[in-house]
Amino acid sequence: MLTGSRPLQELIPDLPRIASFDIDPISLEDVEILQVQYEVSAETIDRLLPPALHPTLPPLGLWTAWSVQDSPWGSFELVQFRVSCRSGARPRTFLAAAAINNDNAQRELSRRWGLHARMSEICFNRRYESAEFCVCFNDKCVLCADMKDPENFSPNDVQFFASMHGADTPRGLRLVQFDPQFEVTRAERYIPTIKQFDAHAWGLDSVQFTYPVIAYGCNAVVHLPKLRFICKPDVSAFEGSETI
Amino acid sequence: MKFGIFFELSVPRPFGNGVETAVYHNALEQIRVADEVGFHTVWAVEHHFLEEYSHCSSPELFLTAAAMQTKRIRVGHGAVVCVPQMNHPIRVAERAAVLDILSNGRLELGTARSSTWTELGGFEVDPDTTKKTWDEFVRVIPKMWKEERFSHDGVCFSMPERAVLPKPVQDPHPPMWVTVTSPGTELDAADRGLGALGVATAGFSEQERRLKEYRRRIQLCNPVGECINDQVATLNFLYCDEDIDEASRLGNMLIGQFGLSNSHLLFTREAYPTKAYGLLANISPGGGRRRTPAETDPGRSANLPEGMAIGDPDRIVHVIREWESLGVDQVNFMLNALECIPQDRVLNSLRLFGEHVIPKFQETS
Repeated sequence: MLTGSRPLQELIPDLPRIASFDIDPISLEDVEILQVQYEVSAETIDRLLPPALHPTLPPLGLWTAWSVQDSPWGSFELVQFRVSCRSGARPRTFLAAAAINNDNAQRELSRRWGLHARMSEICFNRRYESAEFCVCFNDKCVLCADMKDPENFSPNDVQFFASMHGADTPRGLRLVQFDPQFEVTRAERYIPTIKQFDAHAWGLDSVQFTYPVIAYGCNAVVHLPKLRFICKPDVSAFEGSETI
Repeated sequence: MKFGIFFELSVPRPFGNGVETAVYHNALEQIRVADEVGFHTVWAVEHHFLEEYSHCSSPELFLTAAAMQTKRIRVGHGAVVCVPQMNHPIRVAERAAVLDILSNGRLELGTARSSTWTELGGFEVDPDTTKKTWDEFVRVIPKMWKEERFSHDGVCFSMPERAVLPKPVQDPHPPMWVTVTSPGTELDAADRGLGALGVATAGFSEQERRLKEYRRRIQLCNPVGECINDQVATLNFLYCDEDIDEASRLGNMLIGQFGLSNSHLLFTREAYPTKAYGLLANISPGGGRRRTPAETDPGRSANLPEGMAIGDPDRIVHVIREWESLGVDQVNFMLNALECIPQDRVLNSLRLFGEHVIPKFQETS
């Protein structure tokens, strides 16, 4: 089995700190979600994952943008880049980078769930005939994902996977399983194009997008639950998984 | 009750130093032994690009080699992928007929549509279309075999009138099957008069449910070929050892290795949201069904999983009697995964099964 090869501290230099696992769940009503899925080169995929996780072949790179109309921290947009993987035998994604445009949301997502996102400008547009989201760091566009030719499909066929990300937790450095629950009410598929991607700016130098798979958009209520599982980053999930 | 052996041809990393060659030749040796001891069928999958899990991309060649080295055992595609980007239907009919001739009428033709994004994406197949193309393939292949000249105006392919040659030797034609992974596919098989070839291991209760509806539906079928194949086969694991604790150790390792490598596949639904693929994974072996074996199960004390042909000969006979009582016609066995069991132990397991288990079922074979 292939496994990741990069220590967590190298992958995420600014590991967020979770002071306590005792957090209140939150529901985000009326979230618009756009997700672009590309195959990424398998050659360097081990450098994107810690040893606890196994890459899929081919690896999928998933850009997910949330536009949250209302939350306890105000409205915000969040863009995440995740890589498909396995934790033991279970399908997961690994959060490699993220961007956000609301200070309060940034702080609370980091403090409660250990989800680190860099402050940025985010443009999110979902129109009748197309959709796009873009991210700028210091006025420079570092990502532009474009989606065309929408086609309605069943909300039941939208699939989300729990993601893993690194955090400094009360039990030490761990992979944290972030497992939002989604109530999807409307969904469409698109043909995706990544028009702009600055790998270096994202700290994703080894990522090469090789083949567009699919994009989709949906409306959902997103429930952010309590954290339930964490995992030691440097050993197999069979050995390192811990229940909170 | 018939018994088969089933090959994915999984290859452990690193792939160099002749490891692929060893896997292929070990499998052929296992087939020769299976033929000697009375197994009914050898099945080979068709998979592409599935590193480690399956390096069996040209089963027609592998099965031809198997047929040339054996006398009695039937050779089965388990299964040909029926999407035109991977196999043109004319070529499927032609190759199958040649294999039927070379094996002296020992071919079983399983059909499938592929379940991983790794494979569908690799051939740039639209996952939404594979059920339709599979349906078209299974309807035209028997006609290509039986009609002197064949023409077709279809959705996934068309052709002017031509003689598709050669013709298979079995009369009216080789038995046809559908691989069943997702619940419900057994009904597609029944409606078309095709055998249900289980390729994901299923526990007793799940198999019983599938069988009941399959048996009812096939009575009403509109067969795609000139004969109905109403057999149901289930997939299992085999490790037979006189020492039940050793059987438990190696057999559970086999199940674990296969299950883990299977769970690492990138199934279509994970990459591409579509109603055409309802499952995120094959049902993992033993997964969710690892109940405590029944009081009467001789493998209870050795912590052997329900329904799996792992243990000493007595325990395996007990397990297969249970499958037989459900009405399963054939049990096909995985013998190894990623070469986790040494070849001499696999061969010994086959011989023990042939000596002590097969004779117990010969009267119903």
